[in-house]
Amino acid sequence: MDTRQRVSLFFAFIFTVVLLTGSSYAIPAFSRQYGTSCSTCHVNFPKLNDFGKAFKDAGFKFPKDDETFIKVPPVMLGAPAQAELWPHTIFPGTIPGLPPIGLRFNTFFQVLGKNRHNFNLQLPAGQVGPFIPRTDFQPGLFSIFMAGNFGSDIAFWVDDDISVGGSGASGGLGDGYLKFVNIGRFFKLPANVLSMRVGQFELDLPFSPARSWNLSGWDIYDQANIGTSSQNVNNSFALSSAAQGVEFSGGHTYRGYHYSVAVVNQNTSGSSASPANVSPQVGFVSDSNFKDLYGRFSYRFNLERDPASRNETQAAGATGPRDHTYLTLGTLYFYGRSVQRATGVESDGTTKTVITAREPFYRVGADFSFNYRKLNLFGQYLVGRDHNLIPLTPEGFELPVGFIRSNPVKFNGGFVEADYMIHPWLMAIMRWDGVTSSADRINGIGADAGNPPPSPFLSPFRSARNRFTPGVQVLIHANIKTSFEYQIRPQQIVYDPATGNAITNPFRTNSAVAGLEWVY
Amino acid sequence: MKRNVLVVVAVLVVLSLAANAGTISGKVSGVAGESVVYVEAPAGKTFPAPTQQPVIDQKGLMFHPHIVVVQQGTTVEFLNSDSVAHNVFWISIGGNKKLGHNMGTWPKGEKRPFKFDNPGAVPLLCNVHPEMSGYVVVAPTAYFALTDKSGEYKIENVPDGSYKVTAWHEGAKNQTKPVAVAGDSKADFTLSK
Repeated sequence: MDTRQRVSLFFAFIFTVVLLTGSSYAIPAFSRQYGTSCSTCHVNFPKLNDFGKAFKDAGFKFPKDDETFIKVPPVMLGAPAQAELWPHTIFPGTIPGLPPIGLRFNTFFQVLGKNRHNFNLQLPAGQVGPFIPRTDFQPGLFSIFMAGNFGSDIAFWVDDDISVGGSGASGGLGDGYLKFVNIGRFFKLPANVLSMRVGQFELDLPFSPARSWNLSGWDIYDQANIGTSSQNVNNSFALSSAAQGVEFSGGHTYRGYHYSVAVVNQNTSGSSASPANVSPQVGFVSDSNFKDLYGRFSYRFNLERDPASRNETQAAGATGPRDHTYLTLGTLYFYGRSVQRATGVESDGTTKTVITAREPFYRVGADFSFNYRKLNLFGQYLVGRDHNLIPLTPEGFELPVGFIRSNPVKFNGGFVEADYMIHPWLMAIMRWDGVTSSADRINGIGADAGNPPPSPFLSPFRSARNRFTPGVQVLIHANIKTSFEYQIRPQQIVYDPATGNAITNPFRTNSAVAGLEWVY
Repeated sequence: MKRNVLVVVAVLVVLSLAANAGTISGKVSGVAGESVVYVEAPAGKTFPAPTQQPVIDQKGLMFHPHIVVVQQGTTVEFLNSDSVAHNVFWISIGGNKKLGHNMGTWPKGEKRPFKFDNPGAVPLLCNVHPEMSGYVVVAPTAYFALTDKSGEYKIENVPDGSYKVTAWHEGAKNQTKPVAVAGDSKADFTLSK
């Protein structure tokens, strides 16, 4: 079977599935509550349309007249008139009339290129690398997510990947937070200039890795900063990591300005303590006293000619409401202080932390998103930099006594993606991811940056990793989606830094991934 | 004297009409909920368009009422009472896709009129809220009725004569049968999907 036949077979399969299924609509938590389809808020779930962004900004409510749209009345936790008795009574609130539960499951099939074992060739003689199967069926995540509004503009969200790590394994909390929307009203501030979110949440990134519609994540958001063997940086923080803390935000994501400022836990080592001498005994997520800072600012220019339409949640198209033509420009900044605790063995044989390096690091980025009718073109550029403090052990000393500042550890990169809605149920995707990092430089061997090898252009010495990912996503129903992407990785070769001779054949592996997911 | 003559003439006209007009009543079964029953137009006969303009509201992400029956030539006004944008479109009238139309988008509180000159069922849709569904059933004559939820209907003031009467229900096949009207007539329908 040649490539053309395989492609034809694949699309025939999708077409058959579409034809054989009837019509119904998704009913996750908000669908049930409002009696409306997923496509009210999503272009192609979980990608939000303009109305979905406004719904989220408002605290999981319709931006105006929310109560007129709710099909299942909320349960009153106090009559509204009780509010006038406060502080002599509990302030009245509501809970959703139905348990606001949504469930999501996905499953995958992937095929890897023939060169998938080439990277093992650089291993020392006698060492066997991992076996990588050519094809693989993978169960994905079974996630439960709950969200809604408790009245008084207090929104909540909790999601948990129940099936993380396989059968019987403990789950992983995604986001779990309360958001106090529009608290600026207590300070006589204009509407929507100040909200507060508390709990565990994904940082307010321009494009959400946690709720990405792609099969594979954007590489730059998963990028940790790991130094080479001569550097003392091992920062496991990635922007896609869940953060715990408090966030203040304001503005809108569907028009005008939007900002957020967050103070979150510092934990770049990935370790946590659970001491017995702190009562009540709780675990700790931080690995230092310092709290990291994150900020984001963006401005969205809605470009409709009609001023009235420009300021509405959705543009008034000739054949119905649609997303605006817009250009969003944004920037983000993260500042933290990575901790490296150096341990040593003293003359009496005891091992202890003898010195602690607090290495400031930052991530700074710029992003854009341009939308015109069915085309959404967007991208992110990001730079990461960690101070690199090398433990100094002077002659005559057994243990390090201080640090010397050395070359910082850096990475940069980003992505550009184009999504095109061929039909409301069919989205074509083309995307480029690129990362240049020290972490890639140490793929297998230490590199000598001062003595780079000859061509090919792309090699580990340049520490660049690129990926082109064309894809297609098909909504079988509004709540069932099948996705396909082909990840093309330009070939790279590992060279012996001493001789310059190639010690592996091209090892970057192309892969094809098909996914099926549904929410209900 | 002149006034008395006019009264007598009016009474005679009313009595004459009453003597020649009957009703068609019956039940539509086999389906649940409201159906529409209407008299097909006799060959060569036309009916003047009414001046009343019924209103279909878009409220709470629904069309209200769900089904509206109008006589051919009637102008229907579409109101948006929601604070979200809607649009109204239909892909066909009476199954004829050439009669599909998109009315565009309009904000809360505004109405847009449309004159339905072709008979048949018009399935109303909204392109941003695909769960929204409504129907305008355009009857070719002034003789039509919307059944109650049990399927009972009554069409009044139908001149005596022989007609074809059609029953329509959302998602079901239409059924047409001949009915001879002379005073009170009965016509029951059993529809299937």
